[in-house]
Amino acid sequence: MNIHTPLLKCEALRKGYRADRPPILQDINFELAAGDYIAISGDSGVGKSTLLNLLAGLDQPDGGRILLDGLDLGALDDDAMTLLRRQHYGFVFQAFHVLPYLTVLQNVELPLQLLGVDSRQRLERVQQMLAAVGLGDMGTRYPRELSGGEIQRVAIARALVHGPRLLLADEPTGNLDPRTAHGVLQVLREQLAARGGAGILITHSPTVAASADRRYLLDGRSLRQLE
Amino acid sequence: MNHQSVAYWRSALALWRRLALAQLRQQPLRLWLSLLTVAIGVALCTTVWLISSSALLEFSRAGSRLAGDAELSIRGSAAGFAETLYAELARDPAVQIASPMLELDVALADRPGSLHVLGLDLLRAAPLLPSLLPSLLMAPTGQSPLEMLTGDGIRLSAAAARRLQLQAGDELPVLVGEQRVLLAVLGVLPEDAEAASLGIMDIASAQWRLQRLGVLNRIDLRLNADVDAQRFGAQLQSRLPAGVVAVTPETANTRVASATRAYRVNLNLLALVSLLTGSLLLLAAQSLSLLQRRSSLALLRALGMTRRELQWALAGEGAVLGLLGSLIGVLLGQLASAALLAWIDAEFAAAGSIGAQLAQRMLSPHPLIWAGFVLLGTASATLGAWLPAREAARRAPALALKAGDAAVGTEGRHFPVLGAMLLIVGAALAWLPAVAGLPLFGYLSIALLLFGGLLLSPAICGWLLAHAPRSGVAVFDIGLAQLRGSRRQIALNLAAVIVSFSLMIAMAIMVYSFRGSFELWLQQSLPADLQLRTNGNDPRGNDPRGNDTRTLSVNEQRQLAQLPGVARADFIRNTRLLLRAEREPVTLSARDATPERSATALPVLHSVAPPAGAQPVWISEAMQTIYGTQAGDIIELPVGGRTRWFVAGVFRDYGLGGGAIVMPREAYIAASGDHGADQAGLWLTSGADVDAVIAAARTLTWSRGMELLATPELRAGLLRGFDRVFAITYLMEAAAVLIGLAGVALAGAAATAARRGEFGMLRHLGLLRRQILAMLAGEGLLMGAVGMLYGLLLGCGLSLVLVYVVNRQSFNWSIDLAMPWWQLGALCAALLVAATVANLLSARAALGVGALRAVREDW
Amino acid sequence: MRSWLLCALSCAAMLWASTEPRAAETVYPQVTPGLALQFPRDHGSHPDFRLEWWYLTGWLQTADGQPLGFQVTFFRLRPTLASGNPSAFAPTQLLIAHAAISDPARGRLWSDQRIARAALNLAGAAEGDTNVWLDRWRLTREPSQYHARIEASDFALALTLETTQPMLLNGERGYSRKGPQPQSASYYYSLPQLRVAGSVTRDGRATTVSGLAWLDHEWSSEYLEPRAAGWDWVGLNLDDGSALMAFRIRDRDGRNFWAGGTWRDAAGRTEVLRPEAVQFMPGRRWRSLRTGIEYPVEWTLQAGSQRFELQPLLDDQESDSRATTGAVYWEGAVIANRDGRRLGRGYLELTGYGSPLRLP
Repeated sequence: MNIHTPLLKCEALRKGYRADRPPILQDINFELAAGDYIAISGDSGVGKSTLLNLLAGLDQPDGGRILLDGLDLGALDDDAMTLLRRQHYGFVFQAFHVLPYLTVLQNVELPLQLLGVDSRQRLERVQQMLAAVGLGDMGTRYPRELSGGEIQRVAIARALVHGPRLLLADEPTGNLDPRTAHGVLQVLREQLAARGGAGILITHSPTVAASADRRYLLDGRSLRQLE
Repeated sequence: MNHQSVAYWRSALALWRRLALAQLRQQPLRLWLSLLTVAIGVALCTTVWLISSSALLEFSRAGSRLAGDAELSIRGSAAGFAETLYAELARDPAVQIASPMLELDVALADRPGSLHVLGLDLLRAAPLLPSLLPSLLMAPTGQSPLEMLTGDGIRLSAAAARRLQLQAGDELPVLVGEQRVLLAVLGVLPEDAEAASLGIMDIASAQWRLQRLGVLNRIDLRLNADVDAQRFGAQLQSRLPAGVVAVTPETANTRVASATRAYRVNLNLLALVSLLTGSLLLLAAQSLSLLQRRSSLALLRALGMTRRELQWALAGEGAVLGLLGSLIGVLLGQLASAALLAWIDAEFAAAGSIGAQLAQRMLSPHPLIWAGFVLLGTASATLGAWLPAREAARRAPALALKAGDAAVGTEGRHFPVLGAMLLIVGAALAWLPAVAGLPLFGYLSIALLLFGGLLLSPAICGWLLAHAPRSGVAVFDIGLAQLRGSRRQIALNLAAVIVSFSLMIAMAIMVYSFRGSFELWLQQSLPADLQLRTNGNDPRGNDPRGNDTRTLSVNEQRQLAQLPGVARADFIRNTRLLLRAEREPVTLSARDATPERSATALPVLHSVAPPAGAQPVWISEAMQTIYGTQAGDIIELPVGGRTRWFVAGVFRDYGLGGGAIVMPREAYIAASGDHGADQAGLWLTSGADVDAVIAAARTLTWSRGMELLATPELRAGLLRGFDRVFAITYLMEAAAVLIGLAGVALAGAAATAARRGEFGMLRHLGLLRRQILAMLAGEGLLMGAVGMLYGLLLGCGLSLVLVYVVNRQSFNWSIDLAMPWWQLGALCAALLVAATVANLLSARAALGVGALRAVREDW
Repeated sequence: MRSWLLCALSCAAMLWASTEPRAAETVYPQVTPGLALQFPRDHGSHPDFRLEWWYLTGWLQTADGQPLGFQVTFFRLRPTLASGNPSAFAPTQLLIAHAAISDPARGRLWSDQRIARAALNLAGAAEGDTNVWLDRWRLTREPSQYHARIEASDFALALTLETTQPMLLNGERGYSRKGPQPQSASYYYSLPQLRVAGSVTRDGRATTVSGLAWLDHEWSSEYLEPRAAGWDWVGLNLDDGSALMAFRIRDRDGRNFWAGGTWRDAAGRTEVLRPEAVQFMPGRRWRSLRTGIEYPVEWTLQAGSQRFELQPLLDDQESDSRATTGAVYWEGAVIANRDGRRLGRGYLELTGYGSPLRLP
């Protein structure tokens, strides 16, 4: 365990969607230090995506707190949270969510553009990032011309290009065949390590979970660490 | 800090440009449709505005620069007043400048129509006409300006010279009394000096040549600085003879403006409604597009775009669409108005190519007006994009990011209660009276009914869909279920169709009712077999008042009545009476009318039997409204001094907005001593041939240039004119409905693409491809039916407001409501077929292989 | 002013006659030598003649000693187009009036002008004795005095002018030649040394004035030959009671075309000056900022044996009458000196210095 101030800390996190049902998440506690890479697994419907949305500030918890670098996310309004997300978060989704009408390069460029990085620097960093995920020569293509694995690499490149402190990946290989999945996970892991970010990988697959440093199981509304 | 924020905004702009443009580039069809919706809205708006502001509507004498900048103007009728009044006023210590005038519509010889002629003492008028003087002084080489100013002859405005095809040195033959008088054309004013078609004469020359020696009918005054024009005018009024009024320029302007104001306001509001339709279409298109792009938008939110940034970016997209669409629209509008004006005017162009001339003027650039409409279009498009953008930016990103989220959003608020309230308030407002002669509350009522109707439309559509009968046919019921599930989006897609269709229905009912009443009125007011008019001033023939100089003498009247085949002749004398300074003159028609015969000779609405010895007159509805005169009242008229008359009834009149009075001709002659006539209705003996009688009348040489028409022919011509005027509105509304349908079709195509999985599943279940197409056609039919039913309902409501409020208050005449059942049926059927076909075609396109590839992505 | 207007009118008359065949052409009486003028009849209007004017100029002094120049002119014109129109507005006679005050305190003129046809008695010129009026502007004569009343837009004049000397018949007993052709001439007499009393109102403030004035009355039908381009005229009331009228007509090249004048010494002896006896020698020039026209505003004048240096009361005494007669000219108060000593005062008129104008 790390003795420094944790990067991310969840305290007694609780979330339910309907008052007449038991909450989907209850008393979730965990800490994440800078550079940690963990996997959270669990069966469908246990609230993995809900937890991820809470961590990303896309949803509000019913109880408990989420602290990023000691900053309580619950205290931020939508704009402040959005700006925090813009700077410190990276996302990878199961459904890729790359913009179909932008080229690969333009997609990866988006976070830097949002941050107001000037165009010369932007291009340089995007090229670097694309090379790092093995798509160095595909910058001018459109997503529809790529395979699933390639699209997800684009998504990874986009998630990491601005050097976020926290990467949230939701079933990043859910739509990929196992071989492609392996390659993608490897890239994700390498690049995260290379940029010193922490990562949370949400997956229902034990194989995928195994690629992380630590593994947690979300089950029965609580989170426990697996050996 | 500053530098940083500049850099930030620059990159934000670049980002926005990339997102918006890339997105539009990828979807050319959507782009074009959006552009087209805005373009059509703006084009309609521009067209209507240009037409309504064109000279066509102010052909009378509005806006003439010759009005000058007098502070007070003394106006009399064509008969005028003694010139000694001028000398008296010129000597009044309060008066600085007095400018004597004689203003007449002079009958043209050898050609139809008349020319508005202004007799002026330019030496006196010069200080009052600063803008016109330089061009008046521009004499042909060798002529002295002083001589020009006082020369004997006429100078024509450029428009008049074109119409009459005359130039300096020619002669203009005119008719004065029974005589033919040649006026020397001394010159032609430059084009920019005077827009109206008129002639200018020296006052002495006018009095002499037009046989009005000793008479003036207008004096313009500039008063000393310490004199209050209003008070002086009021004081003067008591010294003026009967039928002569003192008006300030403000009231004179009001009078001129009021003549065409109702038309303009009506048309301009129609233009605004088309713009509203356009922005509703854009709203529907944008909201659909944003719904389809919801996961992309959610991603941008997740990546760290704030709500406001997203909203501005999307509104900006609307603004760009609006700008481009408006530019196209303005261009289209310009072309359309030119074409329409040429077309409307083709009928009347015989006298001179006024139409072509107007069309030409229309084609000349109006940069300021263009800029205005581009601005208006852009603003309304931005607004149309703003609401969906707001909703899209508010949407929780988490939901849309979930893999496989395909549910069509049904969130968002409904305002059925507000809608119902607006409908009720709108209906209530229709009962309020006109404001300043305009049906403002009527228009407000229409606006509220439309908006209320729109707000209620999700609920109504939902209700209609919920109560649509289940057919038991699987294909149909699946379609119905699909529609029920997305009723909000459907209501949105249908909004533009509902607005445009309901307006079309309302217009159809109004125009049909109007036409019916108009036709009946024509029959009643033109009862004779044959109509003769001395040269009129209005080539359109709406104004029965002929001209001020040519009347039929007693001898000529006798010759007409004695023509073989003529059983009876009704001679009419039309003159104009100034009853109130701020109003248009009232037309007095002295004709063969008696209390016993009035019911058959006039379209009388209600009458009162005159007491013994009272002299009866009948007044038009406009007269009733404008002057508050009622049947049974005694009114004073400036006919042979001030005389008193009994109002024996009110009749319907569609010809004279300023009001009309009918008086028995014997009474008129007795009072005024004027035996002339400028119009005649001839009844033929049974078996007489109309053409033979016309030919016989033409042998009377003095009838040359006069209008002589068989009544059916005249009626048909007037009805054709009526139809052409309203054809514009039909055309525009049809365009709006078509664009609305195109929007529905595109929405259908997108929805079809999104439902690929559903169709795949249905195909697996064993549905044939054509069954799916049938299902989609059924959906189109249902949507069309919903839009049609609702539009019909709303349209009928609106038509009541148009017929009973807007028309009544704008033009001061009544219309009998009549339902054009066949027309409504055809319109409804057309809408249903169009909706079905549109959905079917778009579905075919969406289900095609190429289309599948084009919409491969799941957004 | 006078000559320029005449020239233009006669040109126009000829052209008009040639382009307007239908209008009955007016036949004007000729000016002939040897006709004895009769008074008071000839103080009045001569409506048959084409053109006539009453021209009043002079120097005034306000109660507080400020000098002012003034000019009041009535023109009567009989247009060529006598068409037999019975209308009261028929333009058988036109009246034009100009009035101006030369005010050194203002630096330029107060001026105004009016034009109207003689219709319904609102404007006219009576026969028998001087009585001309145009709306509320009027000049009338009584046996030994004139009354001038002008209500202009921003100033007013109410003057009584008393005759102190017998009238001065110019030329051959009132027959004044304007060129080598005998028919280009006018009937012309002057009344110098008129004693003025009355009031001047400027911007609503009235002041009492007194001074000395000069009246010209001239009528003609055919005046100048087309070669004439402009005209210099001067009328001087000398302090010793003598008076000088002198004019010269310039051709288009600025050379002397014709000249003339009348000199009456303090004892009342009159000398008619022949063309070669009158010489106008221009001195200092002044350019108008409004019109760009340059006028010689200082002159040396040789008239017979008399020699004067003329100096203006102020430089800017330019009149713009383009709205009525169409001319721009200089008409102003001048001081007559000889060898630096003041001998008298009068009015100087300079016309035709601008570019050729189109005139009534």
